[in-house]
Amino acid sequence: MSGDLHQTGVRFLKQLARHADPIMDAYLSGSLPDQALEPAVQDRLIKDGILYRPEPEADLHLRRTVRSLLEEALRDDRNRQIDANTGSALVTFKTLAAHYKEARHQGDYAAADVYLADLKEHVYAFGETLRHGTRVLWSRLNNEFGYVGTLNAKIRENELAQSQVSELLNGLEMISFEELAETAGDLRDLRRLLVTRLQRTVSECAQELSIVQGRLLELLGRFRQIRGRTRLLKGWLLHLEQHPDYRIGNHTGAKEIPQLFNQATPILAPAAVDIHNQQHENELLELIAQIKALQPQERSLQVPVEAAELLLHEPETFEVQSNPIREAVSAYFCSVIDSGLRLSALEYRQHQALPWDAESWLYQVIGGFEGLPAEQKRHFVLDPIGEPHPDYSGNFIIRDICLWLA
Amino acid sequence: MLSTKGQVLERLLKGEFICRTTDEEGWRFLKNPANREQVDDYLSQLNRTVAMVGGSTDSDVFFCGYRQLDDEERKVIAQQFRDTCNALAPLAEWLVLVQEAGAQDAPLTEGTPVRLNELQTIIEDTPAFREQLARISHYRLFNSNSNGVDGQLKQVFKRLCDLGYLTRPNPDKQIYLATGKLDHLYEVIRFIDETESLDLEARAETASQSNLL
Repeated sequence: MSGDLHQTGVRFLKQLARHADPIMDAYLSGSLPDQALEPAVQDRLIKDGILYRPEPEADLHLRRTVRSLLEEALRDDRNRQIDANTGSALVTFKTLAAHYKEARHQGDYAAADVYLADLKEHVYAFGETLRHGTRVLWSRLNNEFGYVGTLNAKIRENELAQSQVSELLNGLEMISFEELAETAGDLRDLRRLLVTRLQRTVSECAQELSIVQGRLLELLGRFRQIRGRTRLLKGWLLHLEQHPDYRIGNHTGAKEIPQLFNQATPILAPAAVDIHNQQHENELLELIAQIKALQPQERSLQVPVEAAELLLHEPETFEVQSNPIREAVSAYFCSVIDSGLRLSALEYRQHQALPWDAESWLYQVIGGFEGLPAEQKRHFVLDPIGEPHPDYSGNFIIRDICLWLA
Repeated sequence: MLSTKGQVLERLLKGEFICRTTDEEGWRFLKNPANREQVDDYLSQLNRTVAMVGGSTDSDVFFCGYRQLDDEERKVIAQQFRDTCNALAPLAEWLVLVQEAGAQDAPLTEGTPVRLNELQTIIEDTPAFREQLARISHYRLFNSNSNGVDGQLKQVFKRLCDLGYLTRPNPDKQIYLATGKLDHLYEVIRFIDETESLDLEARAETASQSNLL
C-alpha cells in the first residue's frame, strides 16, 4: 500500500511539474480560461484535484491546497489565510491519544507506535500552523500592508489582521493543559508530546502574538493619524471654499495662549569681529588674505567703463600771468645784447630804478641766467664780483654781477 | 567649537524649529529631559522656554517660546498668528497638490522626501495640476511672477526652504525633505478646527463619499 502511495504521490508531483506554466498562470491571475489547456490535460488536472470549476460555466481555478502550497513556498504577501481552528485540532489530539492508550492497553505496540507517530505529526503540524500564522502576520506588518494601495485599504487590512490575532489568541486560550495532562495520564511519551512540547509552542506563540497585536494597534493609530491629516487639509480647503468670507478667530487674544502659538522672536544676530583679540589673529589674517586673493578676480570681472568720446579741438588760449621781476631780468638781458657791452646788474638796477632790493635782484638775475636753454646760455658770460669770506674759506660773497656777450 | 547644547541654544534663539530632519544631534539632545531642562534654564534668563509641538513630552519638534507674556510679547504673538493664518491657505493647497501629484496616501510630514524633478514632470503633464500650481505660486506668500511651471515650482520651493518648511540636504540635488515645522502647521489647523468646532475631518469624509457616489 505504502509503495503504491509513494508512486501515486510521485506521479502527482510530476503532473504538477509538467503543467507548471498553466498552474502558475492560474495562481497569478486567479483563474484559467477554458481554451488555455487541451481538453485531455484539463480533465486530468481536474481529476487529480489540482484545478476545479467553482460553478458551471466558470473558469478553472486552482484548488485551495495547491494555492496555499505555492503561497507558502513563494512567501507571497497576498497570503492572508490563517487557520485559527484550535478546537478541532484539540479534539483530534484527544481522539488519537485515546487510540494510542487503547492500543497500549491491549498490548498492540505496533498499532500504538503508528498512532503515536500520527499524533506527533498532528501536534507538530499544529505548532507549525501557529508559527505560520504569526509569520504571515509579521510579514504583513513589516511592509506595512504595502500590497494594498490606499490608506483606507491598509486600515481595513489592519483590522482584518487584528481580528485574526484575537481569534488565534482566543483559540490558544481554549487549550487546557490540565485536561491534556489528564488525557495523557502517566504515559511518558504522550505527556511529553501533549503537555511539555505543546505548552512550549503555545507560550512562545502567545507571546509573539501579543507583540504582533501591539504593533498592529500602533500601526493602526499611525494610519488613522495620517488619514486624519489628509482629511484635515482637505476639510480646511473645503471650508475656505464654502465660506469665502471666513476669518480665523483671534486665538491669541485670550488670557492663556496655547503653546502652539507662543513662538519667540529670533534674537540672535551674527557676532562682530573683535580685532583686538590676539587669538583670532591668524584666522583674521587668513580671511584678509582671501579677500586680497579675491580682488584681482573681482576686478577682472568688472565690466570696463565705456570710454568717453574723444574730440580734438583747438586748445583753449590762456595768458600766462607775467612776473614783473622776470620781465625786468629779460629786459636786462636784452639791453646787454643790444649794447654788446659789459653791464653790471646793480648799475642797471640803479639806472632803471627797479623797485626790488639788491639781493633779490641778483638772485633773480642768476636764476634767469641758469634758467636759459643751453644754446642761449653759451652766448652770455656771467661774472660774479665779490670777495671770499674773511673767516670761513670756501665761501664767496657776491657783491655784484656783470654780464656780457661771449 | 560649540557644544551640542550651545548649538541647540543658538538654533532656538535664531527662531528655528529643531526636529530629527533638520538637526538630528540637537533633536536627540532635546529628547533627553535632563538636557531639555538645562536648555530651559538658560533660556529662562531671556524670558524664553523650550516649547514643543503638540505640547506633550513625546513631541518630536522643538522651538523657542516666551516664558511670560506681557503686552510686548502678546503683540509679537498676535502678529505671528496673523502671518500664520495668512500662510495657511497657500500651504494647505500646496500640501494637497504635492500629495495628489505624487498619488500618495499621506500628506508630507517630517522626513518625507520630495523630488522636485519628478513633481515637475507630473505637474507639467497634467493641466489640472498646472492650474493649481499657478494659483498657489501667485499667492503673496510665494510671490512668483513666472508663467512657466519650472519658474513657479522653483520659487515655491525656494520660499518654503526660506520659511523652514523644507530643507535641502544636498545642494547639488533637487531632493527636499519636509521638516518638523510642517507638523506644527497641522497642529495649528487642528487647533483651529477644535476650538472653532469646524468639524473639518467629517466634512472631508462626507465630501469624498459623495464624490465616490
